[in-house]
Amino acid sequence: MEHSELEFSAEKQKLKIVPNFSMDKIYFISGDVGPFKAGLPIDVPLWLAISLRQRQKCVIHPPDWLNVATLQEIKESEMAAELFTKLPNEHFREISQLLLTHAKHNMHHADAIRTLVKDIWDIRAAKLRSSIDKFVHVQASHARIDNITRMEINLARPFLLDSLNHLHSLRRSKSL
Amino acid sequence: MDDTLNISGLSDDEEHLTSSQVLQQLEEIWMNERLSPNLMVCRSDITDCILEQIQEMEENISKAQKNELKVSLHQLEVDRIRYMLSSYLRCRLEKIEKYASSLIKEAADGDQSRLSPEEYTFARELTSGVEAHLMSSALRLMPKNLQSLNLQEYAPSLDRYVFLRVNSPEEGVIVDEETDQNNGDKIDFEVGAQHIMRYKPIEHFVESGVVSLL
Repeated sequence: MEHSELEFSAEKQKLKIVPNFSMDKIYFISGDVGPFKAGLPIDVPLWLAISLRQRQKCVIHPPDWLNVATLQEIKESEMAAELFTKLPNEHFREISQLLLTHAKHNMHHADAIRTLVKDIWDIRAAKLRSSIDKFVHVQASHARIDNITRMEINLARPFLLDSLNHLHSLRRSKSL
Repeated sequence: MDDTLNISGLSDDEEHLTSSQVLQQLEEIWMNERLSPNLMVCRSDITDCILEQIQEMEENISKAQKNELKVSLHQLEVDRIRYMLSSYLRCRLEKIEKYASSLIKEAADGDQSRLSPEEYTFARELTSGVEAHLMSSALRLMPKNLQSLNLQEYAPSLDRYVFLRVNSPEEGVIVDEETDQNNGDKIDFEVGAQHIMRYKPIEHFVESGVVSLL
């Protein structure tokens, strides 16, 4: 999987925007959106929000977890926990990245948020590496990987799956 | 304007699925197809339905005024869906090209759900083309006993590992029936749990939607 494909898949998630125009309901194939009333918040898919933002037609309200206080809490519990904690959104990285790129000016303390998102990502990536090391070491043929997001799996996929496939064929040739 | 772009009437098709539900299914089979080592069962019911909707929408768009905001948003959505659909079909085509012979053999052995009729024709023509080419360019110059060609050996490896998430519970899933050290190792699938394991034992769960590949 490409990272961009995961980003694409994250863009269907809904979030709040405040449009600065009024328009009737739009009947999309993916579902109805609207009606839009200038100044009234409304839920739209992320791809629509970004597109409207690029046309200067709305203000994006970041999801309630994308702020300094909540991210600080997440970071602390992630550091304290031995296993992976459950992130507020399964597209945590993609959504924060997209919003930091396209709606930076609609966020308070965007730079602090960016740093925190990166910190959380790094802590989890370190956990991911050490658990992969453990997993390969004990030669298990199955592992439970709750709460790891698709993006993190995508990061580990190429080398992890290749090495597991090699180990599997080596084990098999030994047992023959 | 409203009426020309209204597609909500499509919700009463045979399966009584709304277009957004079909779209969700498309995304599901797209992700699974991208991540599974083997070619998945062909779902032309979903792709045909989506294609029909895209075409209808494009017709409406071509009739509407180009510079209107609503029209360009509709166009954007159609482009997104088309991207997903092409990526899905391209991914299938890649797998078919790679494993054409073994897929044809499987279809001949009775399991014909994997390839659509069009895909089957493509696979058959490709295989006969490749065989004819190899024969005329190289094999016929070889000694008789080296001329046999076995393209069917290129079968997808079901022993590959995959990541998956459980959608509906299942008990006593056998993880590994082959390796001696884990003889008969069983696990239970809990909803929402994520696992990493070999593809073979869970292939039918992916098709039935019990698990999704990650």
